[in-house]
Amino acid sequence: MSKFFALDSLNLLFMIILVIVTGAVIVYQGKQDWKYNTIFTLFFLSMTGAIMSSHLGLTWVFVEATTLTSAYLIMQHKTQNSLEATWKYVFLCSIGISLAFVGIILLLIGCDGVNSLAYTDLYTHADKINPFWLKLSFIFILIGFGTKVGLAPVHSWLPDAHAEAPSPVSAMLSATLLNSAFLVILRFYKLMVLAGASHTAKVLLLAMGFLSIFITAVYVYKIANYKRMLAYSSIENMGIIAIGTALGGAAVFAAAMHLVAHSLIKASFFLTSGNVLKIYKTKEVAEVKGIIEQDKFTGWLWVICAMLIVAIPPSPIFISEFIMIKQMIIEHHYILCFLFILLLTMVMFGIMRAVVKTAFGNTNLTEKVKLGFNKYLPQVVLLTAVIGFGLYCPKVIYDLIAGAALWM
Amino acid sequence: MINLFIVLFGVSMLYMASSSRIMAQINMLKLQGIILCLITLIAHHHANIAGIAFLLLETFVVKAVMIPWFLEKVSKKNNIKRDNNPQFPNFYTLVISTFILFSGFLIANIHSDYMKNISNLYFGISISTIITSFLFIATKKRLLTHVIGFAMLENGIFLLSLSVAKEMPWLVNIGVLLDVFIAVFILGLLIGEIGSIYENPGVCHLCNLKDSESEEDE
Repeated sequence: MSKFFALDSLNLLFMIILVIVTGAVIVYQGKQDWKYNTIFTLFFLSMTGAIMSSHLGLTWVFVEATTLTSAYLIMQHKTQNSLEATWKYVFLCSIGISLAFVGIILLLIGCDGVNSLAYTDLYTHADKINPFWLKLSFIFILIGFGTKVGLAPVHSWLPDAHAEAPSPVSAMLSATLLNSAFLVILRFYKLMVLAGASHTAKVLLLAMGFLSIFITAVYVYKIANYKRMLAYSSIENMGIIAIGTALGGAAVFAAAMHLVAHSLIKASFFLTSGNVLKIYKTKEVAEVKGIIEQDKFTGWLWVICAMLIVAIPPSPIFISEFIMIKQMIIEHHYILCFLFILLLTMVMFGIMRAVVKTAFGNTNLTEKVKLGFNKYLPQVVLLTAVIGFGLYCPKVIYDLIAGAALWM
Repeated sequence: MINLFIVLFGVSMLYMASSSRIMAQINMLKLQGIILCLITLIAHHHANIAGIAFLLLETFVVKAVMIPWFLEKVSKKNNIKRDNNPQFPNFYTLVISTFILFSGFLIANIHSDYMKNISNLYFGISISTIITSFLFIATKKRLLTHVIGFAMLENGIFLLSLSVAKEMPWLVNIGVLLDVFIAVFILGLLIGEIGSIYENPGVCHLCNLKDSESEEDE
């Protein structure tokens, strides 16, 4: 089986994130019935398979399996909206992943003299692959797996599914599922670089990355549903990671750093949104007031998550975005740099406006809702780790991220 | 002989695109499954027994029998017989699909260095099937017809994979087959669930989730 699965410094980082976030989600959600537990385990295993597989074909199988296993988790409540979201999720992602398979077949057509789709074989013989088929294949792979990552313009399932899924599932989708699909794009991007076709890949990644941030900026500006706001923020952050990867140089390290920080913060944010939903029983921003007065812990977690996700120091996201901006200036991409800062500021304004509106002021509820210890602990641990990481990066973590960045 | 089957596959796609009866579309899926089975049997006549058994399972058992049987069951259970009032009249869909199929034949006649690794006719027809299945999904309103479009897309992709001489490892092939089958199965079950809420499950009902929802309420 070793020819199908392997651990290297890139997927090691993704595995660590997956394990940490899954652990936090399990603590948060507490005891569940056997059916949920079985499907949740299958979902975890399919993501592990997608991250660990060292064969492009097998990765496809596992990424599609993640869609199928998570479908039940999203429609758990079987409401009208959750069914609609699940339908869109399964259908759009299956179509997207089918296109990715077309990309794999196109790559096979161009692989004259390369007999396997194992990443190591592809990398070794990258110069033998026909550039025409490789570029065509990359377009399909980017659109296909990009659907799963939630990169604009193929993101439309993401806000619906993240908003309608139970909060722990939303945390898993946002912090781990998007990463495992993005890993495939990173692996393929490396093949493009080795084959000397990096220019096409960079342009496409930059275009989709900027479009993702633009879409988020437009929708988050006057967002009505706070879970959708978090979903759009995921689209934005995956876009930023795509941009960092495409910029190259130090920005690749920043992209890896951003990936770690985003996963941990967003998982905490979604879990905290679960608390807010439990207390207020609504996802509407306009109907939630005074979370801090209502439940001090949830309120402050809500505010801290928002501050960290919009890159207010000491968030590691601030450092990663700063490095990316620096890289843009070094490479004289002044217009891109201006656009990047402008769009990020718009997103920051949109998110902070909704969070300030909901967190501060007098509560609009009459009775207090008491939540268990496990509804705060995972977020506190994750956020402490993130803030610590933003203030001081230990050598072990630095090496881990730098090792992953070298593979990107 | 193979060329005849491939052309027949293209024609079945035209019939699907122009028909509004669900049963006719499902029957065409069965036909496509049988054609794919015959093509693989003729083209891979020198493969080993295990390889042939797997291909038979993939094309005949899953694509020609199980998926159409399941879709038929969903159609009967939810009493869905036709996809009336598509977004686009069926006649125009037929004209556009014919044009797409014609373009497929044109692609099949390109003789360049880029095409040296592939069988041209397989490639042209499969690409036109993939594009037509997108047209099919975009123009039909029923959820079941969307799943039928998805099955047609998968058939097109299978034909495309036949155009390449190289084969995937068996583990990958089984995984792909399992994924596609389960995807159709889950979508079928979802139609049942959505059907229990709406009388005629169609895409027009699936528009509750949007960003401007609450602004309208205000």
